[in-house]
Amino acid sequence: MMRMKSVVLLLGMVFGFALTRVRASEYDMIYRMFVGSDLTVAWVILGAIAVGLAGMKVLRMLGDRTIDGSSIKVSRKSLDRASLAGAALFGAGWGLSGACPGTVLAQIGSGRILGLFTLLGMIAGTYAYALVVEEEIHRSE
Amino acid sequence: MMMTTGIDWVSQSWPWWAGGAVIGLLVPILYYLFNQGLGVSTGYATLIKAVLPRTPLRWFNSARFSDRWGWRLFFLGGMILGAVLANYLAGGPFVSTGMGILTSHLEWPLPLVGLLLFVGGFMMGIGARLAGGCTSGHSIHGLATLQVSSLLVTVTFILFGALSANLVRIFLLGGVR
Repeated sequence: MMRMKSVVLLLGMVFGFALTRVRASEYDMIYRMFVGSDLTVAWVILGAIAVGLAGMKVLRMLGDRTIDGSSIKVSRKSLDRASLAGAALFGAGWGLSGACPGTVLAQIGSGRILGLFTLLGMIAGTYAYALVVEEEIHRSE
Repeated sequence: MMMTTGIDWVSQSWPWWAGGAVIGLLVPILYYLFNQGLGVSTGYATLIKAVLPRTPLRWFNSARFSDRWGWRLFFLGGMILGAVLANYLAGGPFVSTGMGILTSHLEWPLPLVGLLLFVGGFMMGIGARLAGGCTSGHSIHGLATLQVSSLLVTVTFILFGALSANLVRIFLLGGVR
């Protein structure tokens, strides 16, 4: 478990480093993507999808096995009306704050401390979800 | 060398394809090594659980948060460290109070800018949980694994992101692009 966490820390560093290097940590780059004047970040996302797709294809050709031989189980995302409402809320928050849950960490790491407000908002929003939505689901069960 | 591209990969900005390739590789790597899907936003729930281990809220006491110091916490921490390193190597300021045109064009006191960012973050916090993921979990991991739900969610992300950013552009930033 400790070994997994060290490797994950390293992979996280690669992610944070790359996000900063493609300037996804800059408010203006997200803003320009959404108003259509600079699509660099959109291209990064599309490039990541393409490479991720190719990488998953390679894993499939190798038998869909993890390094220790167990079969890979892709995490499936469900869809209902609530998830689309959530997606709308998320998108609006993304356009407003110029950061997403990943890039806000790159903002903070690269010294843009106002990103801490976005981070606090995300933590509060996650807590509010557990408090309101999940507790309500349990009550109605 | 044959491969000289003229880019200093350590300290200069990368072209989109290089960043896309590095980030996209995380999807198969996380499955191959740990059988886990790439995703960031769930890590914020792991963080809450680490800080409030005795919270009575049932969701935080479900099996997925049974490890108080879950691996996602290390992923999030690594992302901050990676950005610290990238910024240090590029010679950027260790701390800055700028937030792009939001602080250069908008003559608001910093706490008010902070409030705007907090509201945006709050919407993303709830929204990501209702949607079942964020940009990395849905738009990158979900689309790289060809999930229809991620396509619909991503289209919705983009539409509403464009809507709110354009509202900011028109009503707060005087139309600047």
